[in-house]
Amino acid sequence: MSAVQTDLRRRRGGRDDLGVTISSHVVLGVWSIIVVLPLVWVFMSAFKSNREIISGSPLSLPSAWGIENFVAAWVDEKLGRALLNTTIVVLCALVLVMLLGAMCAYVLARFDFFGRRAIYYMMLAGLTFPVFLAIVPLFFVLQSIGVLNTLPGLIITYVAFALPFTVFFLFAFFQGLPGEISEAASIDGAGKWRTFFQVMLPMATSGMASVAIFNFLGLWNQYLLPVALNTKRDNWVLSQAVASFVSGAGYQSQYGLLFAGVVITIVPVLVAYIFFQRQLQGSVTQGTNK
Amino acid sequence: MASVTFDHATRVYPGSETPAVDALNLEVADGEFLVLVGPSGCGKSTSLRMLAGLEDVNSGRILIGDRDVTDVQPKDRDIAMVFQNYALYPHMSVADNMGFALKIAGTPKAEIRQRVEEAAKILDLSQYLDRKPKALSGGQRQRVAMGRAIVRSPQVFLMDEPLSNLDAKLRVQTRTQIASLQRRLGVTTVYVTHDQTEALTMGDRIAVLKDGLLQQVGTPREMYDTPKNIFVAGFIGSPAMNLGQFKVADGKANLAETHIPLTREVLDSLTAEDNNEITLGFRPESLDTTTEGDVGAFPVTVDLVEELGSDAFVYGQLANKEAAQAITSGAGESQMIVRVDPRRPPLKGDTVWVKIREGEQHHFSPATGLRLPS
Repeated sequence: MSAVQTDLRRRRGGRDDLGVTISSHVVLGVWSIIVVLPLVWVFMSAFKSNREIISGSPLSLPSAWGIENFVAAWVDEKLGRALLNTTIVVLCALVLVMLLGAMCAYVLARFDFFGRRAIYYMMLAGLTFPVFLAIVPLFFVLQSIGVLNTLPGLIITYVAFALPFTVFFLFAFFQGLPGEISEAASIDGAGKWRTFFQVMLPMATSGMASVAIFNFLGLWNQYLLPVALNTKRDNWVLSQAVASFVSGAGYQSQYGLLFAGVVITIVPVLVAYIFFQRQLQGSVTQGTNK
Repeated sequence: MASVTFDHATRVYPGSETPAVDALNLEVADGEFLVLVGPSGCGKSTSLRMLAGLEDVNSGRILIGDRDVTDVQPKDRDIAMVFQNYALYPHMSVADNMGFALKIAGTPKAEIRQRVEEAAKILDLSQYLDRKPKALSGGQRQRVAMGRAIVRSPQVFLMDEPLSNLDAKLRVQTRTQIASLQRRLGVTTVYVTHDQTEALTMGDRIAVLKDGLLQQVGTPREMYDTPKNIFVAGFIGSPAMNLGQFKVADGKANLAETHIPLTREVLDSLTAEDNNEITLGFRPESLDTTTEGDVGAFPVTVDLVEELGSDAFVYGQLANKEAAQAITSGAGESQMIVRVDPRRPPLKGDTVWVKIREGEQHHFSPATGLRLPS
């Protein structure tokens, strides 16, 4: 449909539209170069030796497509372990935060009860609270429940960290869904739980997908929280491991290793983004009414 | 199947002083098609939603059969509802939409499939069972919504303006389909509409509401022939009934040069509060064209002639400008509607003399608005 529209516009509009089209394409082209070039640089450098990186052109092809850097990063620097940790932490946190966030947003958006607005505004306040202020209290809270430096501890911290945004976003989404559908479900005999899981939640898929992407990116790249709350070497997540390449390199910096580590970190994010992006297309509520 | 009883059912919305539905007493017999009709905001949808359990009942009771369902959850009432905008589940196929209630009830899969297919056959939806609602037209979606109700074979069907989103032609067609389907299935049905034509054509009985108060319940014929008060008189019938304020003197109803004789019974039932006035109602088809000088004849200036083929309606007003505003119809102030012979309609600007046919005038008390015996 959008293709048809652009086509029509192109045919109808004269030079003005052509000007807009050209300039916007130029701007977008420049922008994509700015975004893509560093990625290419990182990718190329991951295959190069230290000397090649320092002396050669940044975008030149590596002399050999060896995977030594990747192997070294994966095995010697325990990046594999870190990737596993990150995957566990992020996936668990993501599932939990989506489930809890959706339930919380649904109740706040569709049920009327005392204190509803207060809870919503407290959630919003959580959005504005700087994470730096929370670090020290969080440290002691986790320590006193005995989950400091453990993956579960990090998971619940991530959930708490991502919940306000999730609720805020899904609240608006659930409010926009037609109320008659849940009424129809209740007349069809569905209880509150079934209405939520089988009727309302499937209708919110597109909203859930967008929030899931944001949360995934945010949590995958999270650095400050693990640095403060997850200091045990075996429990390190990717961001910590990669950072250690730089800080721990000391006199002899292993740039190739660093770049290989970065590639390993980025790839899952790209894959996740491409996968979720397909879910974003089109609204699911289409066809409900009239 | 079961009867439905509203027993002084009242609903007051939070934050509102006046009840949306005020002590509604209504009985719907087993298998009956009852239409709730009234202008917007009259409480008809609220009444239906109270019956569905979607709206709390503040006082009074609601019974389905002999069971008091006032505090029963919607899911336990054994009812099915068709919503104005259909409220289909967008992520489910047509078959899943229709079978959802059965699935929840734990009906075996084979039986669900069979019942869905039967309903689909009745509604001509067989070839669309695997489609999603968004791939259907408005009329098809409406039928899916009907199908969802039929499949369950509930005790009561509730329909909340199910035709208002269809175009005019499809609405008339679906109107007859729903009515005949209901007769065939014999399920007690409560149907809400603001369209009095729908009410007259579909219902076994009609209940007219206004401002949360029940005005009258009766068969379409009763509602049309003997409206209980001025509101029902003006609301039921299309084009609407003409209603005029007349002075009573010498046993006649007088307005300018118009003098309409009244019976003894009518005159006796007028009270002091009526202040020697009476409201006369006469339908467009109760007026005969006649000549000047006939007893009870009055002149009407023609503003507009609406020709419908089988009928022609004159929209005009009383020739005497000062008295004209005393007569109104549903179509507007100072207006009178007259049905005339479609073969020989008058021209715009003409003056026609008309006379109310014997015994076809309705008398109402101006003070109470109620119908007077005649």
